[in-house]
Amino acid sequence: MALNLPLLNTLLILLSLSTTITTSLPSPSPVTSHQGSPPYLWPLPAEFTSGEETLSVDPSLSLTVAGNGGGSPILRAAFDRYMGMIFKHAYNRASSLLTRIRFLSMVEYDITSLKIIVHSDSEELQLGVDESYTLMVSKKNELSIVAAATIEVCVSLCSHTFDSLLISLLACVFQANTVYGALRGLETFSQLCAFDYLTKSVQIYKAPWFIQDTPRFQYRGLLIDTSRHFLPVDVIKQITESMSYAKLNVLHWHIVDEQSFPFETPTYPNLWKGAYSRWERYTVEDASEIVRFAKMRGINVMAELDVPGHAESWGTGYPDLWPSPSCREPLDVTKNFTFDVISGILADMRKIFPFEFFHLGGDEVNTDCWKNTTHVKEWLHGRNFTSKDAYKYFVLRAQQIAISKNWTPVNWEETFSSFGKDLDPRTVVQNWLVSDICQKAVAKGFRCIFSNQGYWYLDHLDVPWDEVYNTEPLNGIHDPSQQKLVIGGEVCMWGETADTSVVLQTIWPRAAAAAERMWSTREAVSKGNITLTALPRLHYFRCLLNNRGVPAAPVDNWYARRPPSGPGSCYAQ
Amino acid sequence: MVQLEYGADESYKLVVASREKPYAQLEAKSVYGALHGLQTFSQLCHFNMKKKVIEILMTPWNITDQPRFSYRGLLIDTSRHYLPLPVMKNVIDSMTYTKLNVLHWHIVDTQSFPLEIPSYPKLWNGAYSPTQRYTFEDAAEIVNYAGRRGIHVLAEIDVPGHALSWGKGYPSLWPSKNCQEPLDVSSDFTFKVIDGILSDFSKIFKFKFIHLGGDEVNTTCWSTTPRISKWLKKHRKTEAEAYEYFVLRAQKIASSHGYEIINWEETFNNFGNKLNPKTVVHNWLGTGVVGRVTAAGLRCIMSNQDKWYLDHIDTPWQMFYANEPFEMIKDEKRQSLVLGGEVCMWGEHIDASDIQPQTIWPRAAAAAERLWTPYTKLAENPDKVTTRLAHFRCLLNERGVAAAPLVGGGRVAPFEPGSCLAQ
Repeated sequence: MALNLPLLNTLLILLSLSTTITTSLPSPSPVTSHQGSPPYLWPLPAEFTSGEETLSVDPSLSLTVAGNGGGSPILRAAFDRYMGMIFKHAYNRASSLLTRIRFLSMVEYDITSLKIIVHSDSEELQLGVDESYTLMVSKKNELSIVAAATIEVCVSLCSHTFDSLLISLLACVFQANTVYGALRGLETFSQLCAFDYLTKSVQIYKAPWFIQDTPRFQYRGLLIDTSRHFLPVDVIKQITESMSYAKLNVLHWHIVDEQSFPFETPTYPNLWKGAYSRWERYTVEDASEIVRFAKMRGINVMAELDVPGHAESWGTGYPDLWPSPSCREPLDVTKNFTFDVISGILADMRKIFPFEFFHLGGDEVNTDCWKNTTHVKEWLHGRNFTSKDAYKYFVLRAQQIAISKNWTPVNWEETFSSFGKDLDPRTVVQNWLVSDICQKAVAKGFRCIFSNQGYWYLDHLDVPWDEVYNTEPLNGIHDPSQQKLVIGGEVCMWGETADTSVVLQTIWPRAAAAAERMWSTREAVSKGNITLTALPRLHYFRCLLNNRGVPAAPVDNWYARRPPSGPGSCYAQ
Repeated sequence: MVQLEYGADESYKLVVASREKPYAQLEAKSVYGALHGLQTFSQLCHFNMKKKVIEILMTPWNITDQPRFSYRGLLIDTSRHYLPLPVMKNVIDSMTYTKLNVLHWHIVDTQSFPLEIPSYPKLWNGAYSPTQRYTFEDAAEIVNYAGRRGIHVLAEIDVPGHALSWGKGYPSLWPSKNCQEPLDVSSDFTFKVIDGILSDFSKIFKFKFIHLGGDEVNTTCWSTTPRISKWLKKHRKTEAEAYEYFVLRAQKIASSHGYEIINWEETFNNFGNKLNPKTVVHNWLGTGVVGRVTAAGLRCIMSNQDKWYLDHIDTPWQMFYANEPFEMIKDEKRQSLVLGGEVCMWGEHIDASDIQPQTIWPRAAAAAERLWTPYTKLAENPDKVTTRLAHFRCLLNERGVAAAPLVGGGRVAPFEPGSCLAQ
């Protein structure tokens, strides 16, 4: 057959693992079969079946790649990272004779190589990039009758030519896949692997596994705030790395606010005089490094420049931006200089942040300093503006600057609530304050990001994991075309009382609860008693985080980031 | 690899010459001195945000440095909560930043037994769960990792108290099913197990000291269990004498494996004159112990709980700084018997989520200076070093170590937004 494919980029990732031992037929088990014992997966994949067997994994697991995207350095780097995480225990020499004997008899590993096929060679990372993957852990010859039709066709792909491979693909699975889907699959694979202390080898329990996974929402974010407290680059990297374990994919970097301006802006170099100190700053190279580090993990970085409120720190370098020396917020709406500075910052940031969204803030704008400062009052009079009109004018003008630089603006919900009909129609509204804002925004045709402060603000320490888990972004939205406009959600780690010393254990494990709500299917997270369906897995995931060096707090504490109440097992606290 | 010896010369000379003929030179008698010198050099280096280069300010520098005490330790407790390997490695890395050089690994206690002992493989059935364990190779890896950073690993096997978890794998070690601590003194099997543990230890823990615990021994279960009370009568021992017998017998076993012994202070308080004369007494309970121990001619390590217990989170860093190992000892010969000191991170309320960072740091750093810097250079009023400690805390943060704010005891969250240097 000729290679005449309608969808050139409709391709499949297969992670197939070769085996050497043959045993009897496993039968596929229902979704609930994995509960009660390892492995536990977080977040729960969209579809999966498992079995009853145990397969051992070779510590010198080799990587075979295929497809146009197989040679991607992002893939290779991720494989090396995950190998380090999976094979953490030093076990070159067996210590006792008994263990040595056991070790020698086990020299035959079931799984010796990992094959990853990535057909698309595009490394472009934007919203909506295909993050789906199919992961198979099985023995080559034995397949259950039910699963045979699907798996066999896919397995036979590997030995067919490229042409018929694609044809068969289209016949059985329609999934577009990129190197970022491969990253998600690698994370899942690493969670299937467990170190068995008796045989001192890595095992995969409940094989064979057949997992077809794809996220429910495209935008699954975490906000960090580097203005209330400076977070060193290494700490931002730790946070980003931990996000990849829960398949979160947007780092919303709230860089600047009232208290400090830590960012280098070459066009207006005095701005970072607003940093807390000469050392609590990010150079443009630091920022680019963070973007690069995140991209290697399939994570977009969305920068935020909150205007016109939350901007007092700008005036330390340029006092003209303040309405007056004694009244410093919001930014002076009357001056073209203000918008020149915004334009300069955005021009500098355009070179660093490739993500298609740029957040312009617009929340909590207290216009008193406009009403009470003489020259601003006069300016308002002259244009026949109320202060609310001026707020709208400011936001819209800032939006146009971002749009002119090829960005889509994201704004906090007050902009929608105050003058929704005048917002640029491309605007993405981020909800935080009122619980039904997404409902209203999508009804008016806007896309929405869900961050309800009652449940998804991580600095609210009195919200336990189950309340985070049970919060549904599509609540109250029934029309499917409107549901599509909710692009996803975000948990917010505001920095007033979170600095380097506590930020990671304030984020985890509760952010994981939201991560599953945003990745897994609605049915999987909404039905049943979450004490049975989710809690054991969350305990396991928290201990996995700890095992990877991420200081996730105990799950059972009803108040966040508190120490454990007493001695005990990680899995019971 | 050069073997790390206790008492090795840790001195170094660091010169950073000035403008006309700029150069930097580090000289040390041993590689471990060089490591300390590199650490100091890294603290001289400073990133200039404007010029985007690394600079060293205030040259020329002429630094001659060596530690005041040869034993500068941190205790971690992996029994009350299991600490995964990456967490332990992070702790070791951060110790090097303050030139601490002994990791006292309190491996086992009442609540769990997480370490593999090849001679008695059921012992680690006492772990919290099958995965909260250290294989033998894991332990060797930790020793190796620490050794490459100039840090000794002091293993502790606390006997006869604090040992309930041993019986999960070998119930005969308990006095009885209902009375499970201390270890059965009447049974030879108990000492066989200790011998097996120490024999295995000698293969991976190469530090010349071993810690045998011996603290907080409640002997009630000995006198109330018929089999053991019979044994006490037969050997004409009181409970207190049986405690002494146990500790001394364990000491002999340790010596036979080439170790020198460290014991908690109750052993000295109760039968100091019977202890192996090379015993190092580890003070924790009260003040004044150091004086009495050195008067008796024994060596001492200081960890008095009112000032150097990190799990007492209401102890502020100033008290950590001000705690003086020599206390009232003026006599030089007795001073030389004080090997140093140790801050203790007990694990009842500490796990992988909050140990490393904010509970250990920055308070351990205050103690680290007390142990390294010459007495005359220490500040009499700790508040005088606030700025320098704040800078060091921010340096820790920069290096990814989540050290807590200075203000307000151990591991508080910052009260409000602000600069790292001011909190």
